[in-house]
This record gives sequence, structure tokens and C-alpha cells, in this order.
Amino acid sequence: MSAAKPPVAFRGLSEPEGDTRRLHLLMRQRDNLWPLFVNTWDTLSRHFDAAECEAWAGAVLALANVNAGPSCLIAYWEACSNAASTSEIAPLLGAAQATTEICRQAGAQAASASLKALGPARRFLGHGAALSRWWRAMETLARQAPESVAPTAGSMGDILAPGTVQDFENFIAAGLRAGAGDHKRRLAFFSLQDELARRTIARNPADICFPDVEAGLKAFTTALWGKAPRLRRMAGGGNDKPQRRSSIAGPLIRLPEVYRGVQGDAGRALFRAAAAHAQAHLVLGHARFTIGTLKPLQVALVNLIEDARVETLAMRGLPGLRRLWAPYHIAAPGGVATAPVLLARLARALFDPTCNDDDGFVAKGRALFAAALPRIEDSAISREIGMLLGNDLGQMRVQFNAKTYVVEPMYRDDGLGLWDFGDNAPPSDEVLELFVDAMRIDRQENADSDRQQGDPDTAEPEPGRGRPAAPDERGTIIARYPEWDRTHGVERPDWTVVREVAAPPADARAVDEALDRSSALRHRVQQLVRGVRIGRAVRLKRQHDGYDLDVDAMLDAGIALRSGQEPDPRVFRSSKPVHRDLSALLLIDTSESTRDRLPSGATILDVERLAVALLSEAMDQLGDPFGLLAFASDGRDDVRITTVKHFDEPYDRDCRARLAGLVSGLSTRLGTALRHAGHVMATTTTSRKLLIVLTDGEPSDIDVADPLDLVEDARRAAINLHMNGIDAYGVVLGNAGAAAAARIFGRGNTMLVHQINDLPTRLSELYFRLARR
Amino acid sequence: MLLDAYRITSEPYYQPQGAEISTFTAAYHERLPVMLKGPTGCGKTRFVEHMAWRLGKPLITVAAHEDMTAADLAGRYLLEPVGTIWHDGPLTQAVRHGAICYLDEIVEARQDTTVVIHPLTDARRILPLEKHNEIVPAHADFQLTISYNPGYQSAVKDLKESTKQRFVAIDFGYPQPATESAIIIRESGADSDLAAVLVAIAQRSRNLQGHGLDEGASTRMLIHTGRMVRAGLPLETAVQSAIVLPITDNPDIRAALSDAIAACLP
Repeated sequence: MSAAKPPVAFRGLSEPEGDTRRLHLLMRQRDNLWPLFVNTWDTLSRHFDAAECEAWAGAVLALANVNAGPSCLIAYWEACSNAASTSEIAPLLGAAQATTEICRQAGAQAASASLKALGPARRFLGHGAALSRWWRAMETLARQAPESVAPTAGSMGDILAPGTVQDFENFIAAGLRAGAGDHKRRLAFFSLQDELARRTIARNPADICFPDVEAGLKAFTTALWGKAPRLRRMAGGGNDKPQRRSSIAGPLIRLPEVYRGVQGDAGRALFRAAAAHAQAHLVLGHARFTIGTLKPLQVALVNLIEDARVETLAMRGLPGLRRLWAPYHIAAPGGVATAPVLLARLARALFDPTCNDDDGFVAKGRALFAAALPRIEDSAISREIGMLLGNDLGQMRVQFNAKTYVVEPMYRDDGLGLWDFGDNAPPSDEVLELFVDAMRIDRQENADSDRQQGDPDTAEPEPGRGRPAAPDERGTIIARYPEWDRTHGVERPDWTVVREVAAPPADARAVDEALDRSSALRHRVQQLVRGVRIGRAVRLKRQHDGYDLDVDAMLDAGIALRSGQEPDPRVFRSSKPVHRDLSALLLIDTSESTRDRLPSGATILDVERLAVALLSEAMDQLGDPFGLLAFASDGRDDVRITTVKHFDEPYDRDCRARLAGLVSGLSTRLGTALRHAGHVMATTTTSRKLLIVLTDGEPSDIDVADPLDLVEDARRAAINLHMNGIDAYGVVLGNAGAAAAARIFGRGNTMLVHQINDLPTRLSELYFRLARR
Repeated sequence: MLLDAYRITSEPYYQPQGAEISTFTAAYHERLPVMLKGPTGCGKTRFVEHMAWRLGKPLITVAAHEDMTAADLAGRYLLEPVGTIWHDGPLTQAVRHGAICYLDEIVEARQDTTVVIHPLTDARRILPLEKHNEIVPAHADFQLTISYNPGYQSAVKDLKESTKQRFVAIDFGYPQPATESAIIIRESGADSDLAAVLVAIAQRSRNLQGHGLDEGASTRMLIHTGRMVRAGLPLETAVQSAIVLPITDNPDIRAALSDAIAACLP
């Protein structure tokens, strides 16, 4: 503690030469800062000795020297005054150093925002080592993403919600990675506009998140009613919002990213309860109510009765579901009879016949529901009962706030999927408010995805950083190939230009779902995979040596001996493991004609996609190296190749997303595509190389008048491939390209698929047949 | 009689699901070969036994496997001190002496093996034994029945068209719930409540067919579960050990199936 202080006016002048004196002299000149400084100094000097104060003064001077500005200094002093009684001097000095660094890197505003975020940080992390790690992370952020410091600091309370400094470090690292040099994306991430950012902080390591349970949920719900659910993840609201409920949108079931605070097995159980409830609506409910002029309270009650109705139906067939749902019905009789409480009690009363609730409203709901039991199959009873009860509750004058109402119990859906809002009769604002949470987030998600699909070229280049060399807007040129001139009988060198074009982004889910829908096919292909029996042994008969006698060979030998002939000495059986040494490349034609629709409504490209996805799954399981290329052309100087999967890349979600993103368009310059495929395959080292071309017609392009020219060129390309040890095989969809394909690949190397819907099966079978040779 | 060992003396229980008994009887009357299709454990083998008993004919069953050769079916020379002796294979025995020959899971055998049965399954009804230099005309009582599980076989191992088209087919599926429940009660001694629960459980697993399971729980599995329960095991444990554990190794599917099964239990 310092001794008696001199009067304020002379403060600092009497100090010995040093940082304290210099700081005082500096602050004396700043009228707006001086009083605050004096206060802070007094507070600190009550808690710390002179040497510590001297160090503190040095730290403040350093901060002032980087032009931190008055607001930053004031923020620092406030932070110090607040912490003085509970903290050592070291964390305060550390804070000053870190702020200085942040100020240097990101500016004064970012520095003072960081200091303001110190409050929440202390609340979550305390004053110890965790806090200094928090400062280190902030410094890293300032160095690598200076623009993002202020927004990060601004929402520190939310960002630190997961609770540990490790989570915070992970969040910063994730944001820097996700932004990847694009300051706009970084800014979106750190200001929590980005969904990924919100997900990152919504996640508590112990929380069960939707992706963890998705596969299991799907299997569970399918097992219950034999209909595969289409599950989707729904972005969570902020931590301050009430937990979102699941939601049904058409055939989709949207589940929250996470049920906050419900962890471990309880979390899994809750997801199962929610998925089973939503699927019960879809399988057993079939309700679609017109909203008409219903009041929000009535809508909520119709939802509630419909929930009870489908659960009753579900539990008739599967009584064990009661155990799944029961734990969430916790509303107990008594207490204040507000509308949400009464609704929750009614939900429980309808669910659990043994529950005693003597409230008149609840009893009436129960009686009405019981009376309607004979008509339980009919969803109209939900609307009838719901409206009656809604009137009753309205007359009881209990408060119902559509804005804050959430469905109870937690596993139930928000009811949005049950309602038909109609096109010409918009519902009242009040009713909309009941669903507004769901709707608002929907809109936001759509906006998010729109943004992601925006053209990356429109993003402003970051100042001061080099932009990657602008690729031709038609894609990066990756190769030039010759082309055969049929008329003159010469090869024109460097005639065609191949450009690598990225597939437009799409959701891998589209492919996954197409696979799910064709489970029978998938199953068949799985059996093919199993039939190949990688790594298992094949038994060899009539061998020179082996572990076992081959009875037939031995008998022949015995007979030969007795009849005086020389026996065949190969009388043993042995076995050897099956080795596969095969790589395959699939070349997918995405020309305009693949846009044609089949009677089923799918385009030819959709069928190609499914076929490729099925086969890729199989090849992936077999461990055969494989690549996927798509091609289309727009004249000789624009042959577009889209790499869906590189040979050395695992077949993962990204590949499937690219596959899903393929679009039909342009023409088919097959020869060039074949040459490029050969070039790609040359990098593989397997002894057998298989190229399968999926095409739906004969080669053509806008700058070639006679298609025969391109057929001849493709034929020469195919012969060339053969000379390089690549087996090229043509799979032709429909009848149009049959003759041309037979000419290009040879009759024996062409498979015609007349019924395009058969393609997925035929393609996989072809592969397995070819791969066996 | 030579084939007395192959005669079935007491009636094997069989619960008809449709017209399969009359179909088989008619086919036998005309000595047409029969193909039984259906998933594992749905009663194909039991049906053949029942029909053999009903028709009073001996039944020779051969389980096909991938190393099975034509000689394993038709017969081969064996060496004895006096010289080489021809030994009839099971198929030749049935052809020569008049029995129903049942080739179980025929597609498991190599394709060249299945060609052996071709001359037996058309108007010729003969079995040429090339090595023995003999042509065996089929006995009047001989009939060929094969079984074939289309889901379980791979496309590569699919029956050849030329083989398929020789047979009259009877399709076996899982029985209707009421029938299946009656079968479980009869075969395992379970009471009707337990049987109904077991049938509901089976339906859950069959729902997962193609969504993680290759095949759902078979009727045979349900009977085994019923017997485990009768032997004193609690239902949950019996279901776990007789259905869930054998049917899948995938932990996700296992958990999902267990949960779905829990939903069936009262």
C-alpha cells in the first residue's frame, strides 16, 4: 500500500523519474481522461504496492503509445478497477499487453471492444490461466483476422456459452479455417451470421448432436413403420431462445441440431422420441387442416389433440412407444392455470390415462377425446375437439401468448406441418406468430444457402492481397489434345482444349436419398460386392502341391497307374487369396440430351447419377481405385471436364456433392474426353485399367457438321486407349447411339441399355463382369 | 427298399399359407420339377419334407455349396482293392430308385454343376453319367425340387435362364401375422400373447430389410426365440440373443433394432 497521497493537482510531479511519473504527466494533459485516471490509480494503489503500480503504469503507457485512444484506455481502467479487488496485478498487466498487441494489429476500436468483452470472459473463465489463454486467442484473431475482432468481442457472451477456453480456441480456429482468407466469410462467421459458427458454439461436447444420431434414428424409425424417414437438421436458435421443437415440412422431418442440456443416453432417447412422434404423424396421421379463421389458441389445441391422436394410434400397434414418450410428460396438476400449463397438463392427461388431473378444462378435453375414440382414425376429430376446447379456454380468459408459446412436451413437433395455409386466405398475424420462430429461421436458412450459392467471383478481392490469376470464365485450361480429321486422314495437333470446370455446389444428400430410395438395387449391388470376396481364398484343384488330396485327380491318377499309363502328378488341392489389381474410371456424359425426362419424371442424368453412385459405393467397398469424370463440350476449344472424384481422393461426401451438382448441357465430344480419360488413367499403377463411358447418344458438337467425323475420332481415341492397356467400354443409353458406340468401342465392348431405368443394375453388373476377367 | 432310410415316417408340421400344397401335388403328379423361392427360414425345407411325407416318397436332400462339383451330385469311381467301383451320388440314387431329390440353395453350386440337372428336368427325364458311360432313365417316382433365395443370391450367381425356365415355381414369403403366430405357438409352445409380440418384433426387423439388414427375422428365428422364452429366459434377453445379435453386426442397426423391438413390448 502506498503512503498518504499528495493532492490531486500535484499528483505525479513528486514521483521519482519512471513510468508512473511519465504516465501522470501524460494524463494531466488530457482533461477528459484525468479524473477517470486518478480514480483508477487510487483504486489500484489501494490494492497494489508501488512496484506493481509502476509496472501497471508502464503497461498503460505502452497502450497509449500504440494510439489506443481514450475509449480504449477508459475501458482498460474500468476493467482494472473492477478486477483490482479480486485479481493479482499480473492478469491486469497481461490484459494490457494483449490489448496493446490487438490495438497494434487491429486498431483501437477492436482493442476497446476486446476489453469490453473481458467482462463476459471473466464470468465464464475466471481470472486464472484460462483467461490468459483467452487473451492469446484474441491476439491470434487480431493478427490473422483483424476485421473480426470487434464482432467476436461483441458477441462474447454467446461465443463463450460452451464454457471452456478450449471451446473458445476451437471456435477461433474453426472460424479462421472456415474463412480461409476471405474476410467477408470470416466476418460472417465471427459475427455469428454463419450457421457453422452458431453450430460450433451451440455444441457442448456432452450434447448429443443430430449428426451423431442420424443413422441410428433413421434405422429406428424405419423399423417402426417400414417407411424410411427423411430426416433433416434444423439450425438451432441462440442459447437465449427457447429450445426449438422438431418440425414437419411436407415429407421431411426436421430435427433440432441439438437438444440443449440433454446429454448422453437421455439425448439419444429424446431424439428417438421426437423422430418417432414426427414419423407417426407422417405414417398414421395424414392430417392437413385448413387454417381458415382459427385463433392461435385453437390452432395450438388442434395440434395438441392431433398429437394425442397419432400417439394413441401408434401405441395401439407398438405399446412400447409409451415408455419412449412417457418420461417427457411431466406437467403436474396444480399451480397457476396459465394456458401453456393447461395445455401441457391436457397433453399429459390424454397421453397417460392413469394421470389424475381434476381441472375442469383438462377433464373436459379428456372426455371429448374418449368419446371420439371410436373415430380415432379420422383426423377431423382433432379439429373438432381442438376448436371446442379453444373456445372454452378463450372464455376462461387465461392468457395465451402466441409469441412465446412452445409445444410441450419437448419431443413433440411444432405442428406447422399439419396446417394448410392456403394460397388466397393468408392467416392472421397472430396465428403466424405461433409458428413465427420456425418460419423466421426457415427464411434465414434459405437466405444463407442463397448466399453460399452466390457467385464467388462477385466477392471483392481482399485489399493488399494478390488474387489468384483469373481463370477463363469457361474454366481452367488443363490440356490440349489432337483430333482426327476424317476427310484428310490426318491428326490435327492441339486441336481441342480441355477445361476443368468445377461442379456447381449441391447437397450430397440428394445422392444419398436417391440411393436410399433404391434400396433393392443397392442391396443387389452389395451382394455383388460380397460375391467378389476380397481377401478370401479360392480353392485350386489339380495342383502339384497343396494341403489336401484332390479326390477326382487322385482317382484319375490311380486309374492311370493301374492301366499302365503315366499318372498326372497334380493330385493336390490348394488355395490362394484373391488379389484385385484393377482401377476404373467412369466417364459420364452430361450433354444436353441427358436432360430428357423419362416417364418416371427423372432425367436421364438423374439415372446416370444413381447408377454411378451405386457403382461408386461398390467400388469404394471393394477398394478398387476409381475416378469419376463428367464431360460436355461447346466447340473444340471448350471441352469441359468436371472431376467428380480423383483417383487418390476418398469417396466421401464432397464427391457425392459434386456428383449431385452435375447439370445437363452442351454437346458430346467423346474423342477428346476419351483422350483425357486416358491421360488421367496413365497415372494409375494397377495392371488392369478399365474405362467405362456412360453416354446417351452418338458424339456431336456445335462446330462439327458431320457427326461421323467425331465417331471416327472417338474410335481412334479408343484404339489408342487399348494400345495403352486401357480397356474402354461403352454403355449406351437408349437406342440412338448404338451404332456409333459399336463402331467406337467395338461390338463386344458396348453394352446397350434400352430401358434407361435398368442402367443402375446393368452398370454395376457390367463392372463386376468386366472386373472378373 | 433301398431308400427306406430316406423315408419320412411321421408327419412334419406344416401350416399352408396359400395354394402351395395343391401346386406341389399337381407338379408331382406331372413329375414337373419345382423351384421353391423365398427368404431363409420361411419354411421351404419343411414344406418339402411335408410334401414327401404326404406323397409317401423318400426324400434325398443335398445342400449345395460352392465347391460342389457335378461328380458330388452324380457319383464317381472310387478305388477299391479289386479295382475301381462306381459309386452313385445322391442325385443318381434318387433318379435310379425313385425319390424326391431336394437341392437346397442350388445357386451356391458352381454353374457347371447345375447343368447336370438339365436332362432330368425336361421331357427326356434322363441322367447321363458320362464317366460311367451310362444313361440312367428317371424312376417313375423321381422328382426334382430346388430351393432358391433370390434376395440372398448375388446377380453373378443368379440361376441361368436355361435353368430357371425348367421349373414350376412356388413363392414363399413370410406368413401372414395370424398364420405366423399360429406356427410359433405350434412349434415353440409359446402362448398366443407371446406369439403376437414375436410377430410384431419380426415385422420391425423386416421393415429394416434393405435399410441396413439383408433380411428380416425369419419365422425360424421367432420359433427359436419362443423356445428360449419357454426355457425360462426373460423375453428381452431371448429376443436379444436369438434375433438382434445374430441378425446384424452393425452397432447402429443393432441399437435401432433393439429400440424398435422395445416399442413392441407391452
